[in-house]
Amino acid sequence: MDFTLSNEQRSWQMTARKFAEEEIRPISVERDEISDPRETFDWEIIKKGSRLGFRTMAVPKEWGGHGTDFVTQALVMAELAKADSAISKTFSQCWKWSHLIAATCTDEQKRRFLQPFLEDDTYLLGKGISEPSAGSDNRLPPPDDPKAGLKLRAERHGDDWILNGEKCFIANASVGKLFFIDARTDPNAPLKQGTTMFLVPRDTPGFRIGKVFNKSGWRFYQNGEMIFENARVPHANVVGPVNGSDMKTQQAGDRTGGDLFGDLELAANALGVCDDACGMALRLARTKKQGGRLLFEQQVVQLKLNRMHLLTEALRSFVMRVAWEHDHKMHSANPGLCMNFSTDVIQEVSERNLELHADAGVMNARADKLVRDAIIWSHLAGDSVQRMKTTRRLAK
Amino acid sequence: MYNLQLSPEQLEIRDTVRDFVTRDVKPHALRPQRLEARTRPLLIDVLDKASQLGLRTLALSEDAGGAGADTLTSSIVTEELALGDPDVAAVLARTSMLAHLLFDRLMTLEQRARFLPPFVADDRYQLALADLEPDWDAVLGIRYHRPEMSEAGVKTTAVRAGDVWVINGVKDRVANAPLAKLFAVEVSGASGVSTLLVPSDAPGLSVSESDPSSHFYHGACGTLTFRDCRVPLENLIGAEGESPLDGNATRDLPQHQALNLGIGRAAYEAALDYAQLRVQGGRRIVEHQAIGTKLAEVAVRLEVARAAIWQAAWACDHPEAIADRSLPDLPLTRIAKVFASEAIYHATKDAAECFGAMGVMRDMPLQKHVHDALVSLHSGTSNSDTKLHIAEALAGYRRPASAAVLAAE
Repeated sequence: MDFTLSNEQRSWQMTARKFAEEEIRPISVERDEISDPRETFDWEIIKKGSRLGFRTMAVPKEWGGHGTDFVTQALVMAELAKADSAISKTFSQCWKWSHLIAATCTDEQKRRFLQPFLEDDTYLLGKGISEPSAGSDNRLPPPDDPKAGLKLRAERHGDDWILNGEKCFIANASVGKLFFIDARTDPNAPLKQGTTMFLVPRDTPGFRIGKVFNKSGWRFYQNGEMIFENARVPHANVVGPVNGSDMKTQQAGDRTGGDLFGDLELAANALGVCDDACGMALRLARTKKQGGRLLFEQQVVQLKLNRMHLLTEALRSFVMRVAWEHDHKMHSANPGLCMNFSTDVIQEVSERNLELHADAGVMNARADKLVRDAIIWSHLAGDSVQRMKTTRRLAK
Repeated sequence: MYNLQLSPEQLEIRDTVRDFVTRDVKPHALRPQRLEARTRPLLIDVLDKASQLGLRTLALSEDAGGAGADTLTSSIVTEELALGDPDVAAVLARTSMLAHLLFDRLMTLEQRARFLPPFVADDRYQLALADLEPDWDAVLGIRYHRPEMSEAGVKTTAVRAGDVWVINGVKDRVANAPLAKLFAVEVSGASGVSTLLVPSDAPGLSVSESDPSSHFYHGACGTLTFRDCRVPLENLIGAEGESPLDGNATRDLPQHQALNLGIGRAAYEAALDYAQLRVQGGRRIVEHQAIGTKLAEVAVRLEVARAAIWQAAWACDHPEAIADRSLPDLPLTRIAKVFASEAIYHATKDAAECFGAMGVMRDMPLQKHVHDALVSLHSGTSNSDTKLHIAEALAGYRRPASAAVLAAE
């Protein structure tokens, strides 16, 4: 076993750390506090990060990207998340789908979409799956209800497909330039046999963004509704086979980077938040006094700090192992388990940090923010559907 | 006899308050601007109506014009109110508790004659206790199992000048401050700490409202600044140098956790309703084991919390239950606080999870319930500190009087 980072990995980590501390951290709490969810976003930080490679680092070298490995990606996500979880996620959301473009799109599609993505610092990506009446049903389709799942309809008209329907809770919806959209192309088939994936540019006629959701945490990270009213998408934008959007499964191996990357992504992001919470708590304990003595001298404080750090270090070990396994094309339930575990860890660690501050009579907006950011994991990474889905991988 | 069978009166009061909350509180409490945790305006109209219903004067004796409710009844009412709106519940619980303490137990007949009629007649007449000060270290913490090491915290002074007290100083984290028309204020004088009654319009008193980001509280909170503030000599409660109000005792009451229970129930009831409507996986989500057991865990936490809170309330109302060994001689309110505040925070998070992404949206109630439970978790004495207090009680530790007190004697 060798935990040493290569020079290249360390270099990315150091660049990310510097950028996170100097550029992201100073704007983190102020962005979080903006009440209009459309106004929390900041293009300047995206452009700055993009120029350092943080938007495009997952694109393979042969297509003009940086071709970083998963270990590097995990390190960078954690470093960026240590300064702001939501800003880190905005960058890594682009990696998730640039993995997908690189792995599944035709060369012609890559020329059309990967080139502009690489050249434009404001080109963000997203993917639309969830709908108002289809959340868990897309992730864990019920065998006894073949009609369950997404309803957005796509019908072929000559060289075009006409899309009608609605998506909700779509990340980067209000800021993205290109989206992967899952649509039902055979309404009579079960979800996985009747769904096709489309590349839908932001300026597609008949496609618009509805409301931007006002979340309690991850406020920088845009999340919105998508509305399709006779949206016209050329057949050339179909990704993979018609009625075959099911490419982000384990059987597809690392062909897409989709789910496998997504699991690592949430766990690595959580690790960064935990590092921040541990740092805050330790700093508080070593500077704040009660009854004339440093908090650190109290046993109850030491025990809480111990719990926070042991959970965080256990998560770090798991995250780096999963990243390494990705790089070695080793597939198991580990990414899912790691993501589920990260939910428990980020919530307990951020809550204990807030508790230490509150107990000391210190109100800290950042400690409060970390708890609100961490609750997002309940609905993405650690809900019972995600846990059962992981368990089913174990049984395969 | 330890007996939690509710009386017909208690059941009737509960039904009345429950109807009031359904009809008059919930429709306002769930409006979008009320769901914003940081900037929600108090529901003044609801407070008025609640007062007309007698909830502001609930614990005040019947002779004095109240309902004479005991701690258990007050806890039941507070839970029901908090189901609709924790801020309304907090304001009313505070005033009602202080009304009983001040008017029924501490004021002289002369003081009662001056302050009681306007209090009873005015629906917007709230009460507040001002004991904490900005740099007051009220935490047990490092002093666990050790004699006091710091001086008592009262720096606000009151000196006699002719027929008035002249008060100078600052009081902080005063619950109900922006609404109160009468304050009980702890002051330091030549003969130790005393308590004075200070009307909100006393010359030299200014009241400012706290920002919700300054500390954790439900209801309304504020800071009092006294600059040569004058009140008549007759406004002293009890004897000089014998402060009859124990701030700690009024900060950790069964009602506070009953309020939290109302928050937990609001989240639970919303989740249970939603789980019976929302269909995923081919059936209503309540029919999935994963959601069913989650709701069961929420119910378990809330019911056990209620048992602990009611037991503590019963013990407050019936000291003989401890004397005859029906209940253990332990700090039951503190025990209930630690269990209930942690259990209810977890319960609200689990309830929110049943809603998927809607559970974190600011225009939906679940994130507010989680936030409210977090506020309860961190308001009043912290759980870390409460456990230290419990541990001292378990060991029978009696804190020797501090050097300052000994010197004064």
